[in-house]
Order: sequence, then C-alpha cells, then structure tokens
Amino acid sequence: MANAIEAVGLVKTFVKARSLREILVHPFGRAERIPALRGAELVVREGEIVSLLGPNGAGKTTLLKILSCLVLPDAGRAIVGGDDTIHENRVKRRIGLVHSDERSFYWRLSGRENLRFFARLYDVPYRRTEARIAELLERVDLQDAADRPFSGYSSGMKQRVAIARALLHDPPILLMDEPTRSLDPVTAIGLRDFVTTRLRDGQGKTVLLATHDLREAEVVSDRVAILVRGRVRQIGTVSEVRRWGVRERVFRLEIDPHPGPLVGPYRAIEDGPGEGLRRLVVAVEPGASLHDVLASIVGAGARLRSCSEEQPDLEQAFSRIVSAEADDR
Amino acid sequence: MTLHLLKLWAFVQRDFLSEISYRLAFLMQVGGMFFSLLAFYFMAGMIDPRSAGLDGIPPFDWLLVGLAFQYYFSTALYSFSSRIRNEQVIGTLEAMLVSPTPTSIVIFSSAAWDFTYGAIRVLLYMLFATLCFDVRLDLGSALALVLGVALTLLSSAGLGILSASFILYFKRGDPINFLLSGATTFLGSVFFPVEQLPAWVRPASDYLPIFWSLRIVRGALLKGQGFSELQGDLVRLALLTLVLLPLGVVCSRYAIRRAKQDGSLIAY
Repeated sequence: MANAIEAVGLVKTFVKARSLREILVHPFGRAERIPALRGAELVVREGEIVSLLGPNGAGKTTLLKILSCLVLPDAGRAIVGGDDTIHENRVKRRIGLVHSDERSFYWRLSGRENLRFFARLYDVPYRRTEARIAELLERVDLQDAADRPFSGYSSGMKQRVAIARALLHDPPILLMDEPTRSLDPVTAIGLRDFVTTRLRDGQGKTVLLATHDLREAEVVSDRVAILVRGRVRQIGTVSEVRRWGVRERVFRLEIDPHPGPLVGPYRAIEDGPGEGLRRLVVAVEPGASLHDVLASIVGAGARLRSCSEEQPDLEQAFSRIVSAEADDR
Repeated sequence: MTLHLLKLWAFVQRDFLSEISYRLAFLMQVGGMFFSLLAFYFMAGMIDPRSAGLDGIPPFDWLLVGLAFQYYFSTALYSFSSRIRNEQVIGTLEAMLVSPTPTSIVIFSSAAWDFTYGAIRVLLYMLFATLCFDVRLDLGSALALVLGVALTLLSSAGLGILSASFILYFKRGDPINFLLSGATTFLGSVFFPVEQLPAWVRPASDYLPIFWSLRIVRGALLKGQGFSELQGDLVRLALLTLVLLPLGVVCSRYAIRRAKQDGSLIAY
C-alpha cells in the first residue's frame, strides 16, 4: 500500500511574542523561538485512519497546518499524496481539512450558500456544483436544513457542514483537527461511524485525525501516533501502543473452587471467590508463557473454566509515553 | 481565466448576500448618500465659482466628482486590508487558504464586492446629482473616462494590495493607509483644488493616482474634454499604475511567504 502522507524530519519553531518591556530594553534583540516540531516523522498509508494524539502543545495542529500548506517548515519535508508541500497547488487538490472551529463559515449565509462559495474556491466544475452540494448535504444528512442560516445550526450540524466542505472536491486525504470537540456523545458516535464506514471503508479515504479523545482514537483508528514535544514517540495499532512500556501480560482466570495454594510462574494480583468460582488475576513473569501458567494451575488439580487477557489501557499507555519523554529530557 | 472570473463572482455573491441580510443598514447607506449630496449642495453655494483650480466647473459639480471618486479610491485603499483582517478575525481565512485557490487570488477577490458596490455608489451619486441637483454632465470622451476609471481601479488596487501585505505580516498598524488617507484628502484635489495650497506643496500631488484620476474624470465628464486633451493625464496615471500594481503584487507575495514561515498567516 502506498504512502498517502509522509513527514520526514519536520522542524518548526515559532517566534515568541516579546513584551513591551523587552522591546524597550532590547529593541534590536533577537526574539526567542519556541520549538513546535523537533524532527517529526510520520507515515500514513493510503486508506487508513491514523489518530494523532498528544498533550497540549505537542505540535499536532502545527503538523496539520504544514500538511495543509498553511505553514512552511523550517527543515524537513512533508509529502502529501506523492507531492512535497512546496507544490502547494497540487497538494491542496488532494486534501480536505476539517476544522473544529465553527467560525470558519459565513454565519449570515445558509449552509448551501457557504458550500456554493467554497465550491468555487475548490474548483468544483460549475455545472456539477449544485448536484455535488446536494449529494454532500444528503450524505451528511443536512438536506432539510441546507437553506437555513448557518448561525442557526447546532454544533453537530456545523461540524457536518465542515465535513461536507472538506469533501467538495472529493480529495483522497482528509485532515481532521478535533472534529468531535464540541459534539454531544450521540452526534460524536455518528460522526465516527461516518468517518470509518463511509469515508474509509466506502470510499477508501485516508484520514489523519488529531484528537485529545483517546476513546475516539481507539474506536476509529487503524493506527495511532503519539506526538510529544514535537516528535512522534510511538506509532502503531491501538493494541501495539497500549502495550508500550508494559512488561507483564495480565490474565483473568476463572477456576472451579480449589482450596489449595496455587504456585506457578506468575504473580497473583487478585485471588478470591466469586459466584461459586475462584477468580484469579495474574501477571505472567518475564520469560514465562501463558501455557506455563495454565500448566501449573491444571497440574495442581484445579479445573480451568475461563481465561482472558486483560488489555492494557490506552490512557495509561499514553501517560507512560508522555512521562518517558519527560524523563528523557 | 473563466475560472478566475467565476471565483471573483463567487466573492461578489457571498458579500452581496451578507450585505443584504442587513437590510436596514443597506437602505440607510443609500439614504445617507442622498443627504451627504444635499449637504455638499448647500456648502457649494458658499464657494466662489471663480476660485482658482475650478477651471470653470460649477463648485457643486466639481465637489460631486471628488466626493464620489474619493469614496471609490478609499474603498480600493482600505478594502483589501480590512477584508483580510476581517477574515482573519472571523476565522474564515484559513478555510479559504487551504483551498487550491492561490492566496493572491483570495486577496484580490476579497475586495470584489467593495469595488462593485463602490461603482454602484458612484453611479448612484451621478444619478441623484443629475435628477435632483440639476448637474449637467458633458461627456467629452467616453474612452478617456473608461480608461481613467480602469487605471484608477488598478492603481488604487496596487496600493490596496500593498496595504493588505502589511496587514498579513504585521496584523495591525498599516502605514500605507495612514499616509495615503491624509495625503489624498489634502493633496488629491478631492474637496478643494490643489491650487489653493501653497505652491511648494503642490508637486507632491503628482505622485497621487487620485489627483490624475479626478483630473481625467472631471475633464471627461464635466468639461467635455476629448481624448487628446486628457492624453497627458492618462499617461501619468498609467505610469503610476505600472509602478504601484506590480509593487503591490510583489509585496503581497513576500508577505504571504514570510507569514507562512512565521506561522502567522491566519493569526490576528
């Protein structure tokens, strides 16, 4: 599968605003620069959804802005749809940016009038414009409200117009910056379903989605990338990232009531009765396997009723990754 | 080319729809134009028609052209920067700049409605003046008038784009508007002939496009001057346009690039 997005050693710093006092004391002094990206590396393959996670100030929005050609990197390259972002015009035809900012529309105009205006900017063929707008309004379920002023829309409706706008020119790549930030849970679920089912599965779109919502990332992503202080610290499937920094595998076992002590290559985290069974939560010791654990239990005469692996929590993995970056400094 | 015109038209439509959504304000502006003309009509009554610089044109007629075109010139000067600043503040600039439309086209088109509305205002002023204030237009050369208006539009657009470049980069504090708005009023022969000023100040007028624009429009529309009589003024205005328009375009490209490097393109 080809790469839809590649960020290669992206570096970006911003000038820190100087206070009036600093300007008066050192009028010709050089302004301090604040690093936003420090060699960010990222690959997003065609047709996959990658969530970009990171604490505030990690550089997620800066990365999206570089990929959208709104900001030029100080060093490194960003390749989108096979073109370097210095070829702005070619890249912009291949991307659609979904803002979380409701203000990015003209509130006095209706949803349809807004889309009509942006259709011109996105070079949608003139004769196809009305049909394309109608098609998109139907897809985001806004056809009934299309001619009402944008100012009267709910947050969910505004977000759906933002998605329709990003799809006007049918770009293969979508960049989404916290698309569910201001949505209620039900609307957010609908939007996530739309992104996975309609956009990725139905149309094969590539989606890079910046979010703070770890649950959202778990639900929609093929892979997640964790950006900390301007560097992508981890990237992988949700289960791969969840395991990052986890040294032990944890299993939940249910056995028939067995009065004797159980000894094996594991550390018992929990051990107690429940509903006529004995319930155990065990962490497998390094070097041992689940087979060794089960063999020791069955060998002691206990009868195994069920066994399931405890999945590490993404939230805890996220904290470990962020803390590890802080420790590295 | 057709694509660019369609984009220009989309900007006009967008702003027209926004404008008419404030119906009362729209009507009051038209009413305000009539009353400003009325005020100028009575003020003109105090002016000696033989004053230097009027060149035999009745004072009210002379003022009418100044008033109508000064608005047009101010529109050109301010609209690019104020529109860009407005889009930055309301949050729509980013949405436009992420589209495949080049930033320079976005900047240029953003003022399309203001220019259209400015032209409508000029026509309305002329209409009110001829119907209600007995102004008699004496069209000498339609070609000179059209050329003069077109050059006025292009030269002032050059200054306007230059001014928008400052807004893109510095966000506030645009020296172009600050310097030109004052200079235009004093040196442009807008509300009084430059001949009324001390002789040593007058040469500065030669560097203001509006000074030549008003000479052409007054000559072609009120004095019945032909193309050959206005040729010299047209050449001077064309020369200023040749300097100002490319200067505006070059500066805007530089400002856009610098703002993208600084990451401040959409900041305000």
